Amino acid sequence: MIEDTYAAFTGWLFEHALQPVLYATGMMEWAEDIFAWLDFALLGLFGIAVVYLVCRPLEAWRPVERRQDGAAIRTDMVYTFLSRLGILPLLAFVLLSTLQSRWEGWLTEVGVMPPTLEELIPPLRDHPLLALAAYIIVLDFGEYWRHRAQHGFRWWWALHAIHHSQRQMTFWTDDRNHVLDDVLAALWFGGLALLIGVPPGQFPIILLLLRLAESLSHANVRLNYGRLGERLLVSPRFHRLHHGELSAGAAGKNYAVLLPVWDWIFGTADFRRDHYPPTGAADAGEAMERGGWLRQQWAGFQRLALTIAGRA
Amino acid sequence: MRRAPLALLLAGLLLPSLARADLVYVLNSGDASITVLESTTREEVRRIPVLREVHHLLLNPERTELVVGDSMANELLFLNPDTAELARRERISNPYHLDYSPDGQYLVVTSLRRDQVDIYEAGTRTLLARLKVPDKPSHLAFSPDSRMVFVTLQGARRLMAIDLTTRRPGWVTEVGPQPAGVLWHQGKLLVGIMGSDQVAVVNPADGKVERSIQTARGAHTVFAAPNGGPLYATSRVDSRLTVLDPDTLEVRARWELPGGPDCIAFAPDGKLWVTLRWVARVAVVDPATGEAETIPVGRSPHGIFVQPREEPLPPAPVPVVEAPSTPVMVPGVVPAALR
Repeated sequence: MIEDTYAAFTGWLFEHALQPVLYATGMMEWAEDIFAWLDFALLGLFGIAVVYLVCRPLEAWRPVERRQDGAAIRTDMVYTFLSRLGILPLLAFVLLSTLQSRWEGWLTEVGVMPPTLEELIPPLRDHPLLALAAYIIVLDFGEYWRHRAQHGFRWWWALHAIHHSQRQMTFWTDDRNHVLDDVLAALWFGGLALLIGVPPGQFPIILLLLRLAESLSHANVRLNYGRLGERLLVSPRFHRLHHGELSAGAAGKNYAVLLPVWDWIFGTADFRRDHYPPTGAADAGEAMERGGWLRQQWAGFQRLALTIAGRA
Repeated sequence: MRRAPLALLLAGLLLPSLARADLVYVLNSGDASITVLESTTREEVRRIPVLREVHHLLLNPERTELVVGDSMANELLFLNPDTAELARRERISNPYHLDYSPDGQYLVVTSLRRDQVDIYEAGTRTLLARLKVPDKPSHLAFSPDSRMVFVTLQGARRLMAIDLTTRRPGWVTEVGPQPAGVLWHQGKLLVGIMGSDQVAVVNPADGKVERSIQTARGAHTVFAAPNGGPLYATSRVDSRLTVLDPDTLEVRARWELPGGPDCIAFAPDGKLWVTLRWVARVAVVDPATGEAETIPVGRSPHGIFVQPREEPLPPAPVPVVEAPSTPVMVPGVVPAALR
């Protein structure tokens, strides 16, 4: 019933709003791709609603700190709506699909056909949920190393500092990123998803799960998952420590997005359960900390340019 | 009027022998599954999970196997059309649209995403030739003598003829924006021009566009009813079926069919089963009146096939986990979370 209603709604939206535009602009060959994108956009809306319903009551229940800077939070909300209703992940996926097709075309011409994960691990074929879990683990591992790179390369940290400059961290802070940082993240994530052959139908589910976990981990809530739980799933406590002022840049801890096991394995974990440090990046500067969306973006570009030029 | 009771009695006597339980296979390209419906009850009797993205299907030349292309999984699936059981899978490069030549010698596969047309030896699926072609090779059709195959190039506004004896391209002609389906009909090629409201009529000898037939915006594919019946053209933007006279190609009727009609299969009772791409449904259209009822299936249904059958399909067996090395899977139900 819900599926049918959803299909009728998206069908109506596509037929009456999107397809006529595609037809008028001579882009009907992209009809199937844009139809698939519709799910992404609606999923983004749904994701924001779910995150709000889960995180806001938690923040009201046991806040780490008082919400004193409403303007900074509102800026983060702008980021969230731009990011989650935006088309960056879609563009990356579609663009990479096309690139992947060209790449695979070339490979098949030289006699190589890339395998899917299910071909490499046959039991996954008969257990879609297991396959979904496998994809999530692989993608989360990729996210851990992307995050390490964001802190490790000075030019990348110049962009990523925007994310860490927030001193009033809430669940909205998750999307506070420079657009270039977002592009790199989308290319990394989408590229890895295509490399291991994530089914297009599962991609939005994975994205939703990771996004929910990431928002929750940024929430302003005094919450840890206990001695064992802290080692199984990234908690608000675990990630707040990553955002601690002394943890910024290459000296960071707790990089994991979903599974802390990567920090455990690679020696970057800090499991102190009573530690809720103040957040922020000491070297971020006033524009990144307090500016609006546009000012923060410009500050990021400036800092990137200076870093590349060796003057920062 | 006095004959009416007699006619009713005769109809009643004949009904048992006319009982049908045809199986309708619907490829849900958007949620990696195949829906199997029973034509009389309209109920889903099987849901076969696939790996990625299924688009088109057809019977093999011996009519013993239903061949389904899973494009993004690089797989062909071979189903028993009578029982909906998966017999085996074969690895093949990105099968989008596919068809056997009329003489049963070749299997030709277009790879929309890889800009390739592959010619296989039908029986063994040995690759005979791989042609790199311009943007987005979409649908294909053969000449009745199996000498030529014609492929629409969706991103290049063109139709390409490929000589199967030399396995090299012949003529290439511009037919219009985003050509999609192509059908050989009475010595001509009918090409749905999706970026317009036209079906182009092309001379297969030289590729010349001889005339155009106005159908509706988003003209997609033309299907011929069995036994010389009318032609039906689907249009995905205006969501319409256009009925064409098979001899004159004149428009006989236009039927609105909301939801983006795409592929058509003809049932033994004459009804048309049409996938509605944007609303996750199939329509059953009465060719006498144009009236339609719709049935929910999976996301973005594309290819469709009707297998005649008299007895209802027995209930699905309990799924059995096969040994990893055995490439056979018992049809089961996809978890709701993954649909």
